[in-house]
Amino acid sequence: MIPLSLSRATAAALMAAAALTTAPLLAAEVTIGQTFLASGLDPAEGSNGWALVSHGIAEQLFRVSRDGEVVPNLAASAAMNQDGSWTVELAPDRFFSDGAPVSADAVADALNRTGAANPSARATAGRLTFTALDADTLTVATEQPTTILPSILAEWAFPVYRMVEGTPVFTGPFTVERFDPGGSIEMTPNVHYADAEARPDITLRRIADGQSLALAFASGELDMAFNLPVETLPMLEAVDGDTVSFPVAYQYMMWMNTRTPALSDPRVRRAIDLAVNRDDLVTAAQAGMPATGAFAESYPFAAEDPLVHDPDAAAALLDEAGWAMGADGVRTRGDERLNLVLYAYPQRPDLITFQPVVRAALAEIGVAVTTQVTESPSNVAASGDFDLFLWAQHTAPAGDPGLFLSLFFETGAARNYSGWSNVAYDALIADLRAAVHPEARIDLARQAQAIIAKEAPVLFLVTPEWHVGLSPALAGYEPWGSDYYVIRPDLVAAQ
Amino acid sequence: MATAAAHLLGRLALSWLAVVAVAFVLLRFMPGDPVDVFLAHVNVRSGPETVAAYRAQWDLDGSLAAQFGRWLVGFATFDWGVSFETGRPVAADFVARLPYSAAIGFGGMALAVAGGFGLGFLAAHRPGGVADVLSRGLAVAGQALPAFAVGVVLLWVFGVRLRWIDAFGGSLVERLLLPTLLVAFFSMGSMARLARAGFGDVKRSPYYRTALAKGRSDAGALWRHGWAAGFLTLIAGLAPELAWVVGGTAIAEIVFGVPGLSERVVQAVNHRDYVVIQAYVALVALWVALVLQGARLVRRSLDPRLS
Repeated sequence: MIPLSLSRATAAALMAAAALTTAPLLAAEVTIGQTFLASGLDPAEGSNGWALVSHGIAEQLFRVSRDGEVVPNLAASAAMNQDGSWTVELAPDRFFSDGAPVSADAVADALNRTGAANPSARATAGRLTFTALDADTLTVATEQPTTILPSILAEWAFPVYRMVEGTPVFTGPFTVERFDPGGSIEMTPNVHYADAEARPDITLRRIADGQSLALAFASGELDMAFNLPVETLPMLEAVDGDTVSFPVAYQYMMWMNTRTPALSDPRVRRAIDLAVNRDDLVTAAQAGMPATGAFAESYPFAAEDPLVHDPDAAAALLDEAGWAMGADGVRTRGDERLNLVLYAYPQRPDLITFQPVVRAALAEIGVAVTTQVTESPSNVAASGDFDLFLWAQHTAPAGDPGLFLSLFFETGAARNYSGWSNVAYDALIADLRAAVHPEARIDLARQAQAIIAKEAPVLFLVTPEWHVGLSPALAGYEPWGSDYYVIRPDLVAAQ
Repeated sequence: MATAAAHLLGRLALSWLAVVAVAFVLLRFMPGDPVDVFLAHVNVRSGPETVAAYRAQWDLDGSLAAQFGRWLVGFATFDWGVSFETGRPVAADFVARLPYSAAIGFGGMALAVAGGFGLGFLAAHRPGGVADVLSRGLAVAGQALPAFAVGVVLLWVFGVRLRWIDAFGGSLVERLLLPTLLVAFFSMGSMARLARAGFGDVKRSPYYRTALAKGRSDAGALWRHGWAAGFLTLIAGLAPELAWVVGGTAIAEIVFGVPGLSERVVQAVNHRDYVVIQAYVALVALWVALVLQGARLVRRSLDPRLS
């Protein structure tokens, strides 16, 4: 009996060992480095909501999908009522990280609290008032009428939470264990979120400088380094792991000040548009892709046709506009030389890189360019004291085209830096504001972009790419969503 | 005595008030409106209502004098306001971050003083020797090399090539070691040259030659009769350096990812976060005044000729 028992025990031990050796080994802990970190855990303060969602700690009722569409998240649906208010149904079986169900009461309490405290939550449609109808249903009354409430609820200002003894509790795939403001956040999987067992513990570390971030990844201290400077990528080729590049929605563009005598003529603006070779800009930035319009290609409302580079056509347009080529290679009209001031700002280094490329391209068609750099882009742009202005802008932060197309291009809009005004465009944006159906909104957004392309108050230049270093522990994780969704539920440890 | 102390305190208070008042006004003249910067950063529709709401929330309306008055009362009562960028109370933020900056700043300065004093002694002992050349090289390097680049090189050598240190995820000591060394590196050379000058003066003095005549060794005589002079000279140079310990560690904190106060202030400048910058200026002004006055008192007590 004893020998038999021993052999059984041995066999069992061998089988267990075999099982262990063939079972997938998952990394239990990973460290992620990035240049920004939540400043606090209260979503009603500052821009904490943005970071908390980006970190995988909090979620909204709706979110923007990888395809750029607004999709339900903690909500199941939203429907507009006849009186202009909305009814939101909550998704079933969603829980806070303390196990409490996501109820209409909790959502209403949280979002009403945020709305009272944070002006950003009142920016798009005024104050939103949430009222629980039953356990799973809310009504939302908006101060200003809106047809895009799901998109508004996908804005960063609207994470869902529950205050428990003064501390917010969230619903995201990870929950905060330790928070060192400005330094790091230690997180564990939220056990009340589906598939929690596949997720590792995460230490999220803030490393403000891109070079240091790259060195931290090279030293093996990080399993993910988010937003690496492009010049560090060759150094990282020898490092164990991968670097992945992905397009982001912060479009690079160039405003043209339509209030100046030269640029008030659409032919001159079109000529500048035709003269700039977007491929050259991509080469200069060492990353990205030529823009087709206001939005990155991943959005359903992105323009589809490539923007044309044709210096000959550009020169012909300038001839037609009365700008004759001078002996020194700069065009003149009467006593006026075609000399433009091009601004950029150092907070986006790629834009500084673009300046000489744009200057060279415009020199070819006889447009002289003087480059300037400003630390205060918003001030200079708002003052109108520029001819051309290189700019970076997230054009669809909540998955809807309306915000950018109205805020930057409607006549007299708050950030209409180019000073452009077009009656047909304004009418189109009014239609877009009233349109409810997604297909109609896509169609109107494309029509609006076509008018912009024709009138050229702005040149859309490049859809940039960001770069992420991934160690073998996170192999296969695919970054998307710019810096809005860095850590998502599908962040699981690699086998 | 009491009158002199009151006079001194009054002068310090007035100087501080003048500095913070000028800083308050200058901040408002910085290009870039904080509300615009914030709204552009967070991609929020910046309609007039939103701008007005933030201006009211951040106390940017009303006259500058009224704003300054409210800030002054708040500062005196430890209500230093709420950061525009983070929404967190500034005082709590400073309390959390100051220990990191202080550890790096004072640690680096202590290393620089200890190393510089020793190096200065050796340099004075053997002019033209290895220590002399080294101290001169360090002083020149401290002036010429960009701190940011030196920091990245330290990181690359110790973190990436040798892997001796987990500069970002290691223990607190590991995380503070390289930034402390960086601060020390940039001050040690000048400290050494100052100490060398102090010891050098002693070498030219009659009492030093007397000590040699009595049979003391070169090094023994220099140390016995020169340490006080070397230290006095060092204090004269140390005071301005110490004045900038609070806030002078920004590059070290940024390169090595340390959540210190200096790094926070750089962030605040980028975001035009007036309340953070103003509180920082007020603290630094207070610190500089105290350090310079303290150094003056120490030098007077050590050197009767200055009394």
